[in-house]
Amino acid sequence: MTDENKNVDLTNNQPTSEEADPKKQASEKPVSPAASEQTPVVKPAAAKPTVEKPAAAKEAAPQKPDPKKEAAQKELDRFRQQIVAKFGESVLEEAVLAKYQPTFVIKREDWRNVIEYLRFDESLLFDYPEVMAGTDYPDKGYIEVVLYLYSMKHGYFVTLKTRAPRDNAEVPSVTPIYGGVNWEEREIYDLLGVTFTDHPDLRRIMMPEDYEGYPLRKDFSVWKE
Amino acid sequence: MAEIRTEEMLLNVGPQHPSTHGVFRVVVKIDGEMITDATPVIGYLHRGTEKLAEDLQYPQIIPYFDRLDYLAAMLNNHAIVNSVEQAMDVQVPERAEYLRIIVGEMNRVASHLLFLGAYLLDLGAMSPFLYAFQERETICQMFNEISGARLTYNYMRIGGVKWDAPVGWLNNLKAYLPRLREKMKMYNDLVTGNEIFLSRVKGIGVYDSETAINYGLSGINLRCTGFKWDLRRNKPYSIYDRFDFEIPVGQNGDCFDRFYLHVLEIEQSIRIVEQALEQIPEGPILGKVPKILRVPAGEYYAAVEGAKGELGVYIVSDGKDKPYRLKIKRPSFVNLQILPSLLKGQNMANFIAILGAVDIVLGEVDA
Repeated sequence: MTDENKNVDLTNNQPTSEEADPKKQASEKPVSPAASEQTPVVKPAAAKPTVEKPAAAKEAAPQKPDPKKEAAQKELDRFRQQIVAKFGESVLEEAVLAKYQPTFVIKREDWRNVIEYLRFDESLLFDYPEVMAGTDYPDKGYIEVVLYLYSMKHGYFVTLKTRAPRDNAEVPSVTPIYGGVNWEEREIYDLLGVTFTDHPDLRRIMMPEDYEGYPLRKDFSVWKE
Repeated sequence: MAEIRTEEMLLNVGPQHPSTHGVFRVVVKIDGEMITDATPVIGYLHRGTEKLAEDLQYPQIIPYFDRLDYLAAMLNNHAIVNSVEQAMDVQVPERAEYLRIIVGEMNRVASHLLFLGAYLLDLGAMSPFLYAFQERETICQMFNEISGARLTYNYMRIGGVKWDAPVGWLNNLKAYLPRLREKMKMYNDLVTGNEIFLSRVKGIGVYDSETAINYGLSGINLRCTGFKWDLRRNKPYSIYDRFDFEIPVGQNGDCFDRFYLHVLEIEQSIRIVEQALEQIPEGPILGKVPKILRVPAGEYYAAVEGAKGELGVYIVSDGKDKPYRLKIKRPSFVNLQILPSLLKGQNMANFIAILGAVDIVLGEVDA
């Protein structure tokens, strides 16, 4: 399988500890020497040059590879291979390592199928829904739904994401798979306006039932009347 | 006996009801005495903490967290500072870590004590409530001395804690712990063997580990099924790996197990605090952190074991001093979801016993 090359492509735009960015010179005092070892890899927006990066630790970091990161990368590759083997290359929009967390962006139409596979496949068994959230990115034109899963049996964790356009935000519901995301999905529906298709009981949960607008969207102002 | 004709009726419990522990409403469908359906209605206390946080610098978010689970605000403090620290890789001085553990575990004790008192009050026992509050009050007074507030502490800072313990505070706490342990034994003897109490909670509201995991339950609500899962052990954060303590688990997953685990966990928390008091070193209480905290662009999730379960903070940062998006995983909110399925088919008299044992705080449910 040619996954390995593909994977390099997907991740090579992410700064790693080996490539200390000269732009990220410390403007203030360094936090700790350990700070430079782990650089976030997922970037919702372009990093500003003002991001702190201790200059002192810059030389020390490149020598030692981070074993935790390598292990996470191995897991990422394995999950990726399994998902691709089952559903084909097209379901994955992105596969990256966010700090130590294998992260997959899944095509919206296959959101539920992929999660169902991850939940019930014997070698994975992601049975514990840890947290679910939605984030609005108006400049990119989509709302992102994030689901953190954990496998109680195997001890794996994974982050799954899917993106829905802002004006037609529809995502297949995963409540039939995890009872625990029922209210989380209702909350995302309520506050961000994402419709979860096939949700058993999709109603507003925090705001009044006749409320108009979605408070967690970025164009919703807290200060308006 | 002839079949008695019953009629379905809607019963509205709450939002203002002493046994709902806050503004929480359940629309219960009853057929005679049996519950056929239950629909929780929440949101009465919704303040939009997640939206407000997008307009706040990271240190400014801490007091908002006090107001989520206002019975265990120290643990909430720990959740937010821990998440930001993990995202920024801030080093926390040793003494600050110990102080955090000490106040956090004492807050767990206070929160569990309130649960024990309030739960027994729900079930009709008045005096345990007063006993439990007596001890809880002592702890609140201690928190008042160390942080200046009884409930909303705003004590922790990113990189440490705000104040060192006042002179003599740690010794007073050390002297108090044996007394607390003795009192706990007395309360336990008073209540736990009581047959009236046992018949109301044993075998009520039962579920198994698989159901609990599927519902995403955490904390005592998961451990009562016999599943050993505690973030202090399973995903160690702070310095919990230095202490010797046990994770008590239940056997039957019923209301009694959930009640009794609170008693057992208080003992374990006392053990942790005792060890922390032995080990606590001298030193600074606030690490070297920049004046303006900017979390590097990226997405982060870190959780601590709150009083009610996994209390996590998911941060999306675009590299600014304010979060782009901040999502709080509130254990009470997640744990409450199992309520309708527990209530279905139960006798109406068990309603309060089941709801009370879930141990929710509405400030956290609604955020």
